[in-house]
Amino acid sequence: MKTALSRRHALGLAAAAAALQVTAPARAASAEEARTFVSTFGQQLIAIVNSDRSLADKKTAILPLLQDHVDMDSIGRYCLGRYWRVATPEQQTRFLAVFHQILVNSISDKIGDYRGVTFTIGNVSASGTDQAVDTVINRPEQPPVNAQWIVSFSSGKPMVVDVMAEGPSLRLTTRQDYASFIGRHNGSIDALLHALDHQVAAHSTP
Amino acid sequence: MRAVTGSNLQPSRSCTPARRPRRIARFLAGLGLATLAGCAAPPPKDPDALAEYREANDPYESLNRKMYDVSMTLDKYSMRPVAKAYVWAVPYRVRQSLGTMVQTMNEPVVFFNDVGAGKPRRAGDAFVRWCVNMVAGLGGLIDVAKYAGYPHHDNDAGLTLATWGVPSGPYLFLPMMGPSSIRDGAGYGIDVGLSPWNYVPRGYGLLTFNWAYNIMGTINGRADHLDALDQLQKDALDPYATIRSAYQQQRKAQAEAISNDHRATVPDWYN
Repeated sequence: MKTALSRRHALGLAAAAAALQVTAPARAASAEEARTFVSTFGQQLIAIVNSDRSLADKKTAILPLLQDHVDMDSIGRYCLGRYWRVATPEQQTRFLAVFHQILVNSISDKIGDYRGVTFTIGNVSASGTDQAVDTVINRPEQPPVNAQWIVSFSSGKPMVVDVMAEGPSLRLTTRQDYASFIGRHNGSIDALLHALDHQVAAHSTP
Repeated sequence: MRAVTGSNLQPSRSCTPARRPRRIARFLAGLGLATLAGCAAPPPKDPDALAEYREANDPYESLNRKMYDVSMTLDKYSMRPVAKAYVWAVPYRVRQSLGTMVQTMNEPVVFFNDVGAGKPRRAGDAFVRWCVNMVAGLGGLIDVAKYAGYPHHDNDAGLTLATWGVPSGPYLFLPMMGPSSIRDGAGYGIDVGLSPWNYVPRGYGLLTFNWAYNIMGTINGRADHLDALDQLQKDALDPYATIRSAYQQQRKAQAEAISNDHRATVPDWYN
């Protein structure tokens, strides 16, 4: 009995050790992968931002880049939170469509009008199943911003699923914003869609 | 004129006049808590809604929203235009220097809180920053310490209490002071007590300096957030909830950053 137990323990230990050996290099690899991913994505983004094109031109150039590197659908689902489950398929499609535009507007608003933006990559650490890549973004005549990029590998290829600028998570803040808005409109998802449509319309007419 | 005011404010030896404001303060605090208790909304019944309610940690939401509306209206017609004019009139480098000065003058508060949080390396950094910037940085106008490898870090009594395990308590939006919580509000009071500038002897021109410093610091601080706050109010569907969420997350991240700072007190090259 005793030997059987200890043998089982030994087996368990061996299995755990083997698993650790397998996961440790995998984790290191994905950390390295996340770093390269953020680095190339950042370089491409900054090349557009720092160019002499007009703001509208920059936006059109940024859009495919964001679609390739940012998992907008996953962020959208997260932001709708518990209301995603109660939304009709039609509402879900409408929401994701308008959410893409909101996200693109928001990102290009934040970085669009700057020239001479640079960034440096710092530590990469595991954040749950994802990788968190620390960066410092320097904009001329502005205090530097510490931004952490959360890169997920769950879809098979690396995708940005969240950005934490100086602490707060972009998607969590947005989720709480939407939840509060829907809560104050008697739980109506249509009210949210209407407000988001309105926001996109207001954005395109300066 | 100042001499007269100064003599009136001389600390008195008898206890009665000092005790009276304290009693009034206690009464006001009690009244405040009673008002808050009266304003707390009952938690929702639905489990999902309850989880959301707990996450927001804002039982006094209706009162907080009123405070938010009042503050934002006042800001729109007072602080925001002043800050805009300040940005327009004062060149970036000068604003940056003044910001550094405000930061340096606050370094003693950071130091005491680092000590309170039991983080000697951080306390050492704050102490070195204070000494270097006050002397080589010409009274704090130039952040020499940053170039010497001592970058600024934030700390306040609210965060120190957080590292001690004190929960934040319900969220509060304080008029003209912005987002806070029971713990952070109390922390603000402690910080005022920790700031040496509130103990300067009166009648040496230092009081005037303290006023100028506080007013300038407020304008400078508001100017730093001009774009961010404008954008937030434009982008958010419910700016109140967005500010609440961002504030709570930021405080949590700051407290975690302090707790996770296990650097040794000896310099890196010594190890």
